[in-house]
Amino acid sequence: MKIKKLIVCLAVLMFLNCSEEEVLSTHSIPLVAMTSEETGISFSNQLVYQSDINILEYLYYYNGGGVAVGDINNDGLEDIYFTSNQGSDKLYLNQGDFKFKDITAVAGIYTDNSWSSGVTMEDVNNDGFLDIFVSKVGRHNSLLAHNLLYINNQDQTFTESTEALGLAFSGLSTQAAFIDYDRDGDQDMFLLNHSVHSVRSYGTTEKRRDEAPLSGDRFYENKINEEEGRFVDVTQTSGVYSSPLGYGLAVRVADINNDGWSDIYVGNDFHENDFIYINNGDKTFSESIKEHIANTSRFTMGVDVADLNNDGLQDIFTTDMMPNKADILLKSGGEDTDKVDRIKKDFGFEPQLARNNFQLQNKNVTFSEIALMTNTYATDWSWSVLLADFDNDWKTDIFVSNGIVKRPNDLDYINYIGGVKFSSYALNERDKIRKEIIDEMPTLKIPNVLFKNLGDLSFESVDKASLGAPTFSTGAAYADLDNDGDLDLVINNINQEASVYKNTLDKGGLVIQLNNTSNYTTKGSRIIAYSEGKQFLQELQTTKGFQSASTQRVHFGVPSDSTVDSLEVVWPNQKKQTILAPDTKEILTITYSEAQTKTSSINTEKITDFELAVLPFEYEESVYLDYERERLIPEKLSSEGPALVVEDFNGDGQNDIFIGGSRYQAGELWIAKKKGAYERVDVFAFRSDRNFEDVDAASIDIDSDGDRDLYVVSGGNDFEQGDKNLMDRIYLNDGNGGFTRRVVDLPRTNGGTVSVADFDQDGYEDLFVGSRSIPGAYGLDPDSYIIRNNQGKGLQQVLTFPLGMITDSAWQDIDADGLLDLIIVGDWMPITILKNIGNNQFKNISKDQGLGSSFGLWNAVDFADFDGDGRLDIIAGNVGENFKWKPTVSKPVWLYLDDFDENEQLDPIIFYNFFDTYVPFASLNKLSEQLPFIKKRFQKYTAFAEVNTVEQLTGKNPKEYLQTKYINELRSMVYLNTPDGFKGIPLPKVAQQSSIEDILVDPEKKTVSYVGNYFDFVIELGPLGANPGGMLSDFNSETLYFESHKSFNLPKSVSSRAVEFLKNNQFVIATQNSFVFLVTSK
Amino acid sequence: MNRSYFFKLMLLSLTLASCAQDQSYKEKIKDPELVQANVKNLTDIIVYDIFSPPVASRVYLYPAIAAYQTMQLANEESYASLSGQVKGLEPLTKSTNENVNYNIASLHAFNQVGKAFIFSEDRMNAFQENLDQQLKDKGVPRSVLKASKKFGAEVAAHILAWAKGDLYNQTRTFPKYTIQEEEHYWKPTPPDYMDGIEPHWNQIRTMALDSSNQFPPKPPLAFDLTEGSPFQIQLKEVYEIGKNITDEQLEIAKFWDCNPYVTHHRGHAMFATKKITPGGHWIGITSIATRKAKSDFQATTNAYANVTIALFDAFISCWDEKWNTLVVRPETLINKHYDEEWLPILQTPPFPEYTSGHSVISRAAAITLTDLFGDNFAFDDTTEIEYGLPVRSYGSFIEASEEAAVSRLYGGIHYMMAIEEGVAQGQEVGEHIVQRIQTFTGGDKELALN
Repeated sequence: MKIKKLIVCLAVLMFLNCSEEEVLSTHSIPLVAMTSEETGISFSNQLVYQSDINILEYLYYYNGGGVAVGDINNDGLEDIYFTSNQGSDKLYLNQGDFKFKDITAVAGIYTDNSWSSGVTMEDVNNDGFLDIFVSKVGRHNSLLAHNLLYINNQDQTFTESTEALGLAFSGLSTQAAFIDYDRDGDQDMFLLNHSVHSVRSYGTTEKRRDEAPLSGDRFYENKINEEEGRFVDVTQTSGVYSSPLGYGLAVRVADINNDGWSDIYVGNDFHENDFIYINNGDKTFSESIKEHIANTSRFTMGVDVADLNNDGLQDIFTTDMMPNKADILLKSGGEDTDKVDRIKKDFGFEPQLARNNFQLQNKNVTFSEIALMTNTYATDWSWSVLLADFDNDWKTDIFVSNGIVKRPNDLDYINYIGGVKFSSYALNERDKIRKEIIDEMPTLKIPNVLFKNLGDLSFESVDKASLGAPTFSTGAAYADLDNDGDLDLVINNINQEASVYKNTLDKGGLVIQLNNTSNYTTKGSRIIAYSEGKQFLQELQTTKGFQSASTQRVHFGVPSDSTVDSLEVVWPNQKKQTILAPDTKEILTITYSEAQTKTSSINTEKITDFELAVLPFEYEESVYLDYERERLIPEKLSSEGPALVVEDFNGDGQNDIFIGGSRYQAGELWIAKKKGAYERVDVFAFRSDRNFEDVDAASIDIDSDGDRDLYVVSGGNDFEQGDKNLMDRIYLNDGNGGFTRRVVDLPRTNGGTVSVADFDQDGYEDLFVGSRSIPGAYGLDPDSYIIRNNQGKGLQQVLTFPLGMITDSAWQDIDADGLLDLIIVGDWMPITILKNIGNNQFKNISKDQGLGSSFGLWNAVDFADFDGDGRLDIIAGNVGENFKWKPTVSKPVWLYLDDFDENEQLDPIIFYNFFDTYVPFASLNKLSEQLPFIKKRFQKYTAFAEVNTVEQLTGKNPKEYLQTKYINELRSMVYLNTPDGFKGIPLPKVAQQSSIEDILVDPEKKTVSYVGNYFDFVIELGPLGANPGGMLSDFNSETLYFESHKSFNLPKSVSSRAVEFLKNNQFVIATQNSFVFLVTSK
Repeated sequence: MNRSYFFKLMLLSLTLASCAQDQSYKEKIKDPELVQANVKNLTDIIVYDIFSPPVASRVYLYPAIAAYQTMQLANEESYASLSGQVKGLEPLTKSTNENVNYNIASLHAFNQVGKAFIFSEDRMNAFQENLDQQLKDKGVPRSVLKASKKFGAEVAAHILAWAKGDLYNQTRTFPKYTIQEEEHYWKPTPPDYMDGIEPHWNQIRTMALDSSNQFPPKPPLAFDLTEGSPFQIQLKEVYEIGKNITDEQLEIAKFWDCNPYVTHHRGHAMFATKKITPGGHWIGITSIATRKAKSDFQATTNAYANVTIALFDAFISCWDEKWNTLVVRPETLINKHYDEEWLPILQTPPFPEYTSGHSVISRAAAITLTDLFGDNFAFDDTTEIEYGLPVRSYGSFIEASEEAAVSRLYGGIHYMMAIEEGVAQGQEVGEHIVQRIQTFTGGDKELALN
């Protein structure tokens, strides 16, 4: 009922774009907290301060324990094992009906107080009974233990056997994950360990080759059923790093590249990158995160892998620690400074962001990071992530456990602990001082988070009440504990009884028990469920989340009104077995049958719609860090190019290419030769002007001699406005593609765009030159220019006006009155239509035309009659939805411009809506650097954390400011031209995953080619790298949706700035950090 | 009839009573410990609020000058106004209100100016309330307190208006230092890789120096990592001393650390310890010296004014050199070329290496103090006791300054060249200051001590 209401509302949102009023969460997933009286589970991970084991002496003191689930006695009910840090672990036998019995002692589980971290269950000897592996912090200060492997005696008792089986590692272990890396049927073991030294200096990534006896990761090959009769340490030959750099907290085995061999994802804390160990199939792995992923979470603590959008490709979710409440955000340490970020990159580390990461797998096994778009990026100090369908609707939900007993990243704590006299840190005083320091750290319990998957990459945090009271929750696992078809949840809490949630959904769900032949594991099996023309993928892996292992069975969230037509099992040996019309009422057991299997072929063919080729022109953006001059700006404005012009410059009937250079790099001319080849031609005029940065250009016959000349817009935020290095340039064509500069006094601004058209219909092409910014004064509007070509005799500035921070423009007769109007887009401004009313006069009609809710950070604009009603519609590229700012008309992002400290420099202050509270975008530290009086107003971060208006921040009424701007739309949009004005329709989600920097419409075919990505926002906004370029087509004027999408599959993290038609079926794409690409559709 | 008589009597007795108090409070408020308490309070707030060394020198300067300029009005025969001696300072005029007591006004001016520069105003307010109470307890009449504070506030406003022209506010928005690739250039250092502190401090208005680069040191040794090159020898020296440090060297390094903000990392847990700045240490020595010399209220105020001027100009001079030469810190090179695990004894502060700030400012302060209190002024330096460090004794200010300078080598944060040339630079700045700034005019120096 409630869900239906929301669907209706969603529909309204999509069609009418009435997105303004908030939709309160009406979702819930019926997880009911069970009491320990009901379940018999009274386990609690109790932490007690010890002189040598506390948060100061052991940095992972509050990481808590784990949970593993599995049926240890093969009675059809999954049992539960909890690890304890300072007490005894507990094993509970599932007696059915949510009743559990503590059998720890009688089962032979050690009840000592050594420090257990992670736990997993695996049948390591292939005897059909699950064994239990417990990881230990075994060598630290007074802690002394080794990891434990409990071999199942098949009678509900266990025998600890690490010594005999070669796994008695004693060091700093987090978790083990089992993986059949050589596909010989038994499970080998990856052991995840963690360092404990403080990060002092980064050092280079070369250190990965070092070995660390206590903290380096290990790999063991299972040879129990071979001659050796035990596990053998093969770390050195396996390709697994075993270095002191690794702070391993998360591990997940999965076939990431879909080749039938299990790979390993490792999540590392701190500056060490996460790893993807791709299994080479020859008992070696290749660490290759950077081939697959553009940025990872920084303090990665948990990881899970599953298909979150039902496209048959498994996605990756990692947890981090970004707060989801405004006040906590404002008083907690967050991202590195931009400078530290660059230092790390120089040391060889890949980009990391201190927030959850949602890696959506693309067809070419690269991943697009979309946590911001899906609003799943912030769940505070998070440990486990579990990807499973908790409400049986075919859609995988996201559960995150979180909480830390002491918050050492509280900025007040960090800054004001200074009163403690460390000088008296003498032996006798140590405990007192340690306790004093620890007491200073703030404590805050927070509720766990469950995101319900709404489909189409939309997620919503369900009503918190269903997840119970705030806790410090760490390890977690799911399983169908009562065999009713839905998933229940078990969570290990610190200083509190474990949480057991019973899923009270009464219908649906399919649980599958896989049975392989003896001596062959079932792990790594993939099952595809076919239902009503759709298919759903699950891969059986158990070690997931954080220090934990979930069900040993496979769950499909089959809705109660849905049927499964067939199941296809791909066993670990890659043989395929199909089960038609399976019975989904009971737990389904599928047993490997040689007779019923056939060999499965891995589809390694890459599905691509376009072929890529490169022109060896590499844009060399000069390094200028705008925010070192203007601390409060959200992005660099000094990296706008390159310009791209496609034109037949030499009159041979073939299109040639001009690519603008960056500062200190000359623009280049590439002339078309035979057979689609291009040759670079040396142009002296370009070389001598290499001190200019070419941000845009257009071809124009400025001297009316019949050939195409060039107008090049200069830019850069590194010179003062009016500097000669910012002057635009005209290059005259000699008719054969030879260019010479015609020195004319042209605009000297940080330019943005140029558009050419004969707007006054006198037979001579005129110009609009739009400016990007006033260097040093982010936010203020520079002058832009309409320049008339005076019949080839000269240029005449007919209009000069501050229109906004302009990025793109076009002449188009948008109102079909026979006169060319000017359409301009840019930052902090709406799609702006300047209607040509004749006699060199223009009128701004944006507001009248319904574009008042289109204030964005626009990059590109183009036109086509998409809905076929005879009127030209507008399509415009924006930042997209995968962004921290999510403005709406009622909750815009504000930009306040004033000289708050009266030092004659503009202070741009931004406020945005962060989880329903307005917060200043810049941190207190950044604000106080530029405006020292702010620090005086807010001596404590706690006080700053209460700020939600600019007046509270500055003490000055916004009415007195120089100017106030805003943004209320960041999605890339189509604006349909209707008799009642323009109606906005967002582009599909696939085109919202990053910025769109340029758009090219084929007005005939109505295809939309788009390219983008942007890496010049400050780190708090992060890189936008999830746009591999693509083409939208088949706009359906009923659903108002582009029904077809094809990806250009540009390489990972290419920042594309311009796309143009080269010839039929071929585009040229200019990029800022790579080559020029030629894209040909197949 | 009766009633008016009664009133007359009352008034008479009141007047008599206040006359009696007059005598005692006037002496009591000449207690130089009032000045010392003011300075100590400012130091505590500077430590608490965390100011970088050059900025801290500015926070000390203006209150000290405000206090001095006020007192000078009461002792014009013995002391000269700083107006005309430091850049841009307009003269003050004496108050016409006879109730104004200049000692009280001076104390108040100091605190009011201080309050404008520090962040924790609540701490200053609490201190001021306490001071007012003390003054009342000493019998200062309400009218005197009120008039003196009013005048003190006027002086404070005068000084703050002057301070506004020193370009501090403007430099807040000047560009940060952009990291330059070449190896010889300074780079941010572990563990926090903090931004370089105050790259434009050389644009701050000097007090007595003609310009920030009036006394340019010799250029630093040419960057050359070749075995045996002069630069490499000095680099290696830092590395070797760090590895084989003696107990005495270690104690010296720690004693003169004076890093206002040292961060400690324990995994996710990070905390900072706060201390006085190098300038703060010399303020502490000034306090020791004035007490030992039994300087009176006015002389104490004079000493602080002179020392803060020397420190302020010395920092500007040093920072000009630092951000012009941009010399890389030894830690960066040692970790890269010799030993990735090598740690300096002290945390490398976040600004370029050449010249050593502690060397420059210590020598400049020592010369000023020597000018005030004479050569061979032996003293026990107790400044660092409250930060858990021992007492060290020196035979002269110069001796202390030389130890402060070389401590930076022991601490692993400076090459010898930055120390030697830093001392030379401080010498020139100090000599220039004592020559230019002439505050005591009332006879020979000995008198100033009383």
